[in-house]
Amino acid sequence: MSALADLVRRPPPDTDPTQTLRIRSAAIAVGLLGVAAVATALVVNILVAGGDAGADNLFWTFGLSVAGFGTLKLAIALVLAGIVVRLWMRVDAVKAALPRLKAEADPGVARHGEIDTPFGRGTLTEKAPGLLPPQAMARIMWKPMIVMGPMLVLAGLVLSLLTTAADDPDTAQALWAWTQGTQFLGEAMLLAGISFLLGTILAGLREGGGEVQESLGLAVKTLRMPTSAKAFLVLMFGGFLLGIAQFVLYGVAAYTDDPATWFAWLGPLRELSLGILLSGIVLALFTIGTVLGFQHWRIKEILETGR
Amino acid sequence: MATATARTAFQVERSTSSLGYNLPQRVGRLLWLPMFLMGLMFFGAGMVLGIVRAGEIADGGAADTIATLQHAQAGVMFLGFASVFAAISFAIARILGQFRAGGGEVQAAARRAVHTLKMPGTAKLFLALMATAMMTLVIASVLHIVFAFDIENTPASLADAEDRFVVLEGVRRMGIAVFLLAILFGLATIIRVLRFQATRIRQLPEEAPTR
Repeated sequence: MSALADLVRRPPPDTDPTQTLRIRSAAIAVGLLGVAAVATALVVNILVAGGDAGADNLFWTFGLSVAGFGTLKLAIALVLAGIVVRLWMRVDAVKAALPRLKAEADPGVARHGEIDTPFGRGTLTEKAPGLLPPQAMARIMWKPMIVMGPMLVLAGLVLSLLTTAADDPDTAQALWAWTQGTQFLGEAMLLAGISFLLGTILAGLREGGGEVQESLGLAVKTLRMPTSAKAFLVLMFGGFLLGIAQFVLYGVAAYTDDPATWFAWLGPLRELSLGILLSGIVLALFTIGTVLGFQHWRIKEILETGR
Repeated sequence: MATATARTAFQVERSTSSLGYNLPQRVGRLLWLPMFLMGLMFFGAGMVLGIVRAGEIADGGAADTIATLQHAQAGVMFLGFASVFAAISFAIARILGQFRAGGGEVQAAARRAVHTLKMPGTAKLFLALMATAMMTLVIASVLHIVFAFDIENTPASLADAEDRFVVLEGVRRMGIAVFLLAILFGLATIIRVLRFQATRIRQLPEEAPTR
């Protein structure tokens, strides 16, 4: 866990921003490994359809495909960690350059309170406001999610191999149900981890933006939590709860007398949980874009008016 | 020295004002919302079809109906995944657009020459992989729906339907993997853009004002 914390640790302010991050290349290599796993599963699926391999191979190709997706999501999480570090380098660069670039002006007396910006409602405060509770939570929660998610996905891959090897139909049914439930809970955790990393990026943008303005002795302009961020939280927690629910329900389906019926609706349910989590990620990315637009607008305002 | 390194490390376009958004970024700003809404719609429809199919199985429904619903459900659900992954890609393009347009505006406001990073190789890969993945997923989903209405209640037709499902399952999973890889390259591009921005901002005070 501490190794993960090191991944997003703020670099010293005098760090050379031109240096490249190894994490970016490592993430791309991990991502390609994930694609290779899914491609292998595709080849075996074609062999099964053509009658050149037994249908029982479909259990482990499922496990391998989902493990491939998990690997790709882990790679995405690594890149997001790299973005967190790079954002801090950008904050330090702006802090270093802005005092020498901004227009000279008397800061005057600011009227603190609510303000309107081209990017939505905001606040004008004397000091930088702290993190919002979901952002503080995101900074903590991405680590356990990124650790537990891949563990569950790998456990599911092992279960899929055991399902392929199982001779007894009841054992195979139980193993197959646990394979699906476990792997998709792992996938949901990985997507939740990615969502929390996006929340960590939003936390960095809020904290960094406030820090830059405060360092210049200016009143601090901060965006209020956009509606898209609130909807992101709803979708993220909804999708994650559904991910837990499908795991529990697959546990029931493992020992039911009518597994085909259960599997018929649990399949779409587990996909729905990931779909909702992915929809939340869309809104998180949209919010990041909005906050970046606000930051550029604010920097421009400081350069032109000095306040 | 660091400045000299930075200037040679990035390929930039020089101008006197912000270059604004490029075409993929404009498309991203326009299309992320429709794709997001379509994704939610398809996920809901896919879930409903799954419940209907489960009902058919529980009631001992006809084998061809169950196979038809299996194909239709998968097709609809993965149109949802195609839409939501497209929305994610467009939202990433929108972020890259904010860096490009906003970065240019900041340099212009500082009365310095505006340097805009040329599209990096990872961004080109992002676009190419996204288009490939989108086509793969949409074609696989459409084939699922086409095959769904081509199933008869004969052993041969049901066996064909099963084989087609197995192949398309592999193909759509490949589409998802390529989409995730595209997103990875899109995010890797953001790292490069941030590296450029941090470098460029530190250069600005050393340069003479343009006006």
